[in-house]
Amino acid sequence: MSLLAVNLLDGLVTGLLLFMLCSGLTLIFSMMGVLNFAHASFYMLGAYFAYQISTYVGFWPGLIIAPVAVGIAGALIERYGLRRVHQYGHVPELIFTFGLALLIEEVVQFFWGKSHMAYYEPEVFKFAAFSIAGNAFPAYKVFMIFVAIAIFLVLLYILTRTRVGLIIQAALSYPATVQNLGHNVPLVFMGVFGVGTAMAGLAGVIAGPVLGTFPGMAVVLGSIVFVTIVIGGLGSLWGALIASLLIGWMQTFAASYNVTMADILMAVGIDKPVDLSDNALRDLWTLTLPQIGPILPYLLMVLVLVIRPRGLLGKRET
Amino acid sequence: MSAVSDAEAARRGKSGLFSLAKTAPWFIAAVLLICLPLVFNSGAGFTVMNQMAITIIFALAYNMLLGQGGMLSFGHAVYMGLGGFFCVHLMNMVEYDGLMLPLPLLPLFGGLFGLLFAFIIGSFSTRRAGTVFAMISLGVGELIASLSIIVVAFFGGEEGVSGDRTMGPEVAGFDFAQQSEVYYLTAAWLFISALAMFLYSRTPIGRISNAVRDNEERAEFLGYSQRYVRWISFCASGFFAGIAGGLFAINFEILTEENLNLATSGSILLITFLGGVGFFLGPVIGAIVFTLLQTVLSLYTEIWALYVGLLFVLTVMFFPSGLAGVIAIHVRPWQLGKIGLLAAPYLKMIVPAALFVFSCAAVLEILFHARHAALGEEEMWLYGLTINSQGVWPLTIAIAIAVVSLIILKRLAPSLKEAWDEANHQETGS
Amino acid sequence: MSAAAIELKDLNKSFGLARIIRGVDLSIGRGERHAIIGPNGAGKSTLFNLITGKYRPSSGSVHLAGTDISRLNPYQINRMGLSRSFQITNIFPKMTVFENIRCGLLYSMGYKYSFWHLVDRQPKLTERADEILEQINLTDRRHLIAGVLTYAEQRALEIGITIAGGADIVMLDEPTAGMSASETDYIVDLIRQVTEGKTLVIVEHDMGVVFNLADRISVLVYGEIIESDAPEKVRASEKVQEAYLGVAEEEAD
Repeated sequence: MSLLAVNLLDGLVTGLLLFMLCSGLTLIFSMMGVLNFAHASFYMLGAYFAYQISTYVGFWPGLIIAPVAVGIAGALIERYGLRRVHQYGHVPELIFTFGLALLIEEVVQFFWGKSHMAYYEPEVFKFAAFSIAGNAFPAYKVFMIFVAIAIFLVLLYILTRTRVGLIIQAALSYPATVQNLGHNVPLVFMGVFGVGTAMAGLAGVIAGPVLGTFPGMAVVLGSIVFVTIVIGGLGSLWGALIASLLIGWMQTFAASYNVTMADILMAVGIDKPVDLSDNALRDLWTLTLPQIGPILPYLLMVLVLVIRPRGLLGKRET
Repeated sequence: MSAVSDAEAARRGKSGLFSLAKTAPWFIAAVLLICLPLVFNSGAGFTVMNQMAITIIFALAYNMLLGQGGMLSFGHAVYMGLGGFFCVHLMNMVEYDGLMLPLPLLPLFGGLFGLLFAFIIGSFSTRRAGTVFAMISLGVGELIASLSIIVVAFFGGEEGVSGDRTMGPEVAGFDFAQQSEVYYLTAAWLFISALAMFLYSRTPIGRISNAVRDNEERAEFLGYSQRYVRWISFCASGFFAGIAGGLFAINFEILTEENLNLATSGSILLITFLGGVGFFLGPVIGAIVFTLLQTVLSLYTEIWALYVGLLFVLTVMFFPSGLAGVIAIHVRPWQLGKIGLLAAPYLKMIVPAALFVFSCAAVLEILFHARHAALGEEEMWLYGLTINSQGVWPLTIAIAIAVVSLIILKRLAPSLKEAWDEANHQETGS
Repeated sequence: MSAAAIELKDLNKSFGLARIIRGVDLSIGRGERHAIIGPNGAGKSTLFNLITGKYRPSSGSVHLAGTDISRLNPYQINRMGLSRSFQITNIFPKMTVFENIRCGLLYSMGYKYSFWHLVDRQPKLTERADEILEQINLTDRRHLIAGVLTYAEQRALEIGITIAGGADIVMLDEPTAGMSASETDYIVDLIRQVTEGKTLVIVEHDMGVVFNLADRISVLVYGEIIESDAPEKVRASEKVQEAYLGVAEEEAD
């Protein structure tokens, strides 16, 4: 029971973190029709910027400055890169952001090298907030949950209570209408891309100390983010939230319950062959849940696509 | 378009398949493939050529999707990789279970396995084109790449699976222990596959896959299901990717998770796009240039991947039709007999352009060395000079050269533009 | 069996709460030249898209020569001998004019999804495509990329693609929209010539075109057909004058 509670909280942290990335990605996709392949790279930039800032002035200023810097970088890339490619269509745009992801990884390695950065949570959070039956829950993770929920509430407020939010909502439901709104579309695009990437940057700032700050961190998370929004339904914010939490919990639970496939197979009544060494199905018998945890999101995606092609809450047929 | 070139085109259109103009390029390619080993007969030469040939097949197969079918895949390595894995297992069956399969036929089986998986996965991934297809291809690619680490029996886990190509029955006295023998085997498959893929693009399904790419709705109202058209293209592409995988298995005798993952899928996209997706020869050019870049650049610099990344992003931004596109825009001045007009401005620009590129590279190299060299190691070797990377002067000079050459380039740009317009302009009445 | 070429039975279509097509019953006989007119927003294009399979009806059914096609995909309907053009020019802009026509021919000439024929080596295919180019007067544009044609030429090409497959039922969605008077005359002559002996269904704003081409006219207002009769009777109908032509005159002022 206690392990369950810890896992629920851990999964919530992962899920909310995923959602911080997915929401920005969904926002950009709905407004601009561009699926930003480099989204996780901006998350990585956030972590690296925050690390660099923390070496000069500590953690807290980085929490504000790094996302802003990432957002500005994102806006500039939109202005001078993406906008140029926009005329060629959505597929070249996607290829551009893919190239951007490659390039950002190389640039990060250029400046910071290949090793992990010594980027840690601030001293004030180096204690256990509480413990559940002997499992300590770090205060920093509580902080992460609060930041993620705060961002979510701010987003919700902007979307439902402000003028900009109404435009965005219109765009979410009827992508074609944005062009007819008479607003300064290029500026809106630049702003949306800037804000979306800044949110990814913020996710990087707070995730860097926990998940590690290294050149591969974008790749590790990148594919999962795309899978999440496909599962949630492209362009649906609520779908992204549900899918993020689902995947967060799925991965956490899979990692902590050491169920083997053999247990399941034997429970069903299939006997384990005596000699496994040369059996083509030997892997089936030795598989464990923590092992297949990382592929569960992809399996879920294939399943969703086969059963419900538009995703959990997607309105558009995919 | 002029009446002259129309008539010219009409004449070409009516001449048959076996006209000289159409068969000559293939004949030249065949002679080239046969003669290349006479020039590059070192071990390294064969390694590079074999790799190039495999990459060309894979890139051409990839372009059946991206260029001809309008489908952007982030997971195409899967079909090449799976074809390769099956081929290694077949090689092992030849070695241990006495399967009588001559090695030259192995790539065909790789192709069939690629086709099989493309058929299964395509059944749901080709329902839609564009972004959705791209995301599904990514998800499926990642799924199979991660599965390969878990399913040890088939994929061999982290170490991968390896085999020995020389254990099969000898074919006409060849046991394929020599690299040159492997080269000719690979070259033969390259020729056959490239020809088959070219002919495919001239078949009804090949033409309709272009039609679906350009306007899927219109194609539906011509009696074609866009989904089936995409599915068939996907299967064909999977088949040729599988052949490339089989050749990879023969050449390297080992396949690992690396052959399936996103990095490999991404680099084939990069190669194809760099070469030019709108042209049949584009992927060929891309594969050759990329393999050379990779081989040569990585000898000289640690940050070669940064240069390749920059080149790719700049290509997407400024030359979306790739290297083949850059060549193609010179065809019209050539036909008008005005290509000579471009020679002078090009010659004038080549020196500052080279200076600009090399000085920018120098700036990057100096910065990189200053940041990452071991402590106390301040000397670096650049363009045959020994310089102090921590010093102010080398960096300043490099930046100065870059700025000056950029200014010269900007000054020269209008004259190039003028020459360009003139070279593409046709006198009226001629 | 002498079923009508197209028969609509109590056809309804709603988008969300908006009922665009409200219980349309219509029968179009074989060889008939039928025009659908109506004010803007009456649902003409929606009706068109329902018949051709782009949209699925909310209720009711569409029959093609007696067969229910309301659940079929566009390509299946096309194979049953119904072909359409689009309101917005819908060609393959990157291909040559010749290839555009050839794509329209491939399926009906039995090539289907073939990967064992080479399109350039099919004399009959080339011959037929050239015949159609001749019919639509684009022979001298044969090798041009379709995207560079003039607007009228692109519309002509679109009609060429539409009739290429040899469909018995041809549906044209505002074929003369945005054209000058002389271009319109040219396209009307073209339509008359290439649809000889076929069933023609046309949506059109230009009354000149409609009364010139059609044997029968249906007037669609707010998703309902208020009149369906011979041109002169429709012209005389008070109901139509009131509901539609009157509106049109007001608009014109």
